[in-house]
Amino acid sequence: MIERWALLSGLMGDLETYELIQKDLKNTHGDITLFVLGDVVGPDKNCDALLKRLVNPHRGDLKPHCIYGWWEEQLLAESGYRGERKADALRLNKGDDAVNALMNAVDPYYLGWISSLQFGFVELDCGLIHGSSKDVGDILTIQTPPLTLLDRITRLNVNRLFTARSKLQFHLELTDAVVDSKVKDLNGKRNQEHTLPKRAVIGIGAGANYTLYDVGSDQTHFLTVGDVTKSRGRGFA
Amino acid sequence: MKHAVISCLHANLSAVEAVLGDIDRQGIETITCLGDLVGYGPQPNEVVELIRDRKIETCQGCWDEDIIEGLDACDCSYPSQLAERRGHMAHQWTTENLTDENKEFLASLPTSIRRGRSLFVHGSPNSQHEYLLPDMDAFAALERVEMSGADTLFCGHTHLPYVRELGNGSIRVNIKNASDREREEIKMTLPIRRIVNAGSVGEPRHGGVNATYVIHDDIKNDVEIREVAYDIDRTCEAIIEAGLPHVFAWRLSNGFEFAELAEDASHVCER
Repeated sequence: MIERWALLSGLMGDLETYELIQKDLKNTHGDITLFVLGDVVGPDKNCDALLKRLVNPHRGDLKPHCIYGWWEEQLLAESGYRGERKADALRLNKGDDAVNALMNAVDPYYLGWISSLQFGFVELDCGLIHGSSKDVGDILTIQTPPLTLLDRITRLNVNRLFTARSKLQFHLELTDAVVDSKVKDLNGKRNQEHTLPKRAVIGIGAGANYTLYDVGSDQTHFLTVGDVTKSRGRGFA
Repeated sequence: MKHAVISCLHANLSAVEAVLGDIDRQGIETITCLGDLVGYGPQPNEVVELIRDRKIETCQGCWDEDIIEGLDACDCSYPSQLAERRGHMAHQWTTENLTDENKEFLASLPTSIRRGRSLFVHGSPNSQHEYLLPDMDAFAALERVEMSGADTLFCGHTHLPYVRELGNGSIRVNIKNASDREREEIKMTLPIRRIVNAGSVGEPRHGGVNATYVIHDDIKNDVEIREVAYDIDRTCEAIIEAGLPHVFAWRLSNGFEFAELAEDASHVCER
């Protein structure tokens, strides 16, 4: 059976979309592992129902493997889980009202679970992270300089990095990387040509836009809720 | 014009005096210091005051930051638990002996100095604690310089002096799949950049016992790594007299920084 990963992020309390994605995945062929790459909470709606579903999946749900995202980081910081640091980034960008809205959107009962979430997963030779290996708020896109993308991949010692923070869907490969290094020190001079194997950064989308990844063939499928039903002929179902 | 770059003085007055003398004899008037004025060595006040008196433009090193912030240097930099304990002792001794005025001076130092297309930092543009070693991943090294907006990055922290030029680079970017774009492939040329590590004046780790620093000739765009002998016995005697761990003197006189490396291979960072 084909091994597939389903990757989603940015639900921000939207249980309805999560249920529709679960429904899509039930109609998808393959041995599917579900990864939720953060931002399950947000300030715009009450998130408790979605959190309850993630913590206690319904019978028949694919079990979600969750990490925390930028919004969880803000929530945890404001709730005292990050030492003296507060939700400064959120406060700076959207003001006190947004911070208060976020705090009101999540029952403190779920803070313990959210605080137990990891920064990311390393599966096979892939890193699964909300932002990047540098920071949960790091935004990677196809416009990000290639050296920066390589750096973020290298920090995790992986070949592929799945990221969600940009909310965009893209599969960018970095190939044929080469650079000459000339080092002079007290022992003399030495030259070396450095090359890298193929590396990739994959943006998985957000909300109703999610990604299926075929582990064996390295193929990405960018989907929107409901696409699976429409695309049975394309091999997803 | 030539200018000298010194780093990692580590409270070793004899070494600092010898290096400044070597610079003076060459008629070089511009000196930049990349921090770590204190730590390990027995003369923190004397070294800080010498740098202040000479008005040498200086950025803050990890030891300078840690002393004023009450932190300990990242334990990643210690090769063993024994070395870590000795490092903590050096930290405590320096904290107790450094004057408030000199602590204020260290607190006032910037974390980087920019001069044209050159950037001067202690560790890396990311952190005072990051080691840019001469054999680190070439693409990561290139990223550190490029993202800092510099052509040449001057750093220290490793105690290993070197010049690394990164050039003739290229990479192919292939947008294999994107929800809003056509498939696209672009070959990009990578920038030519240089990292210059000034080594260490007061705590060499290059295998020898001499102090090291670099001279940059910005007209010829050439970098010379200088080795300077100094009165090691004078520093070693002061270390013993101050009550600092004897191994600090032993390694200065033998040129082995990682004297305790093999004692605890399982050591892991606390942070």
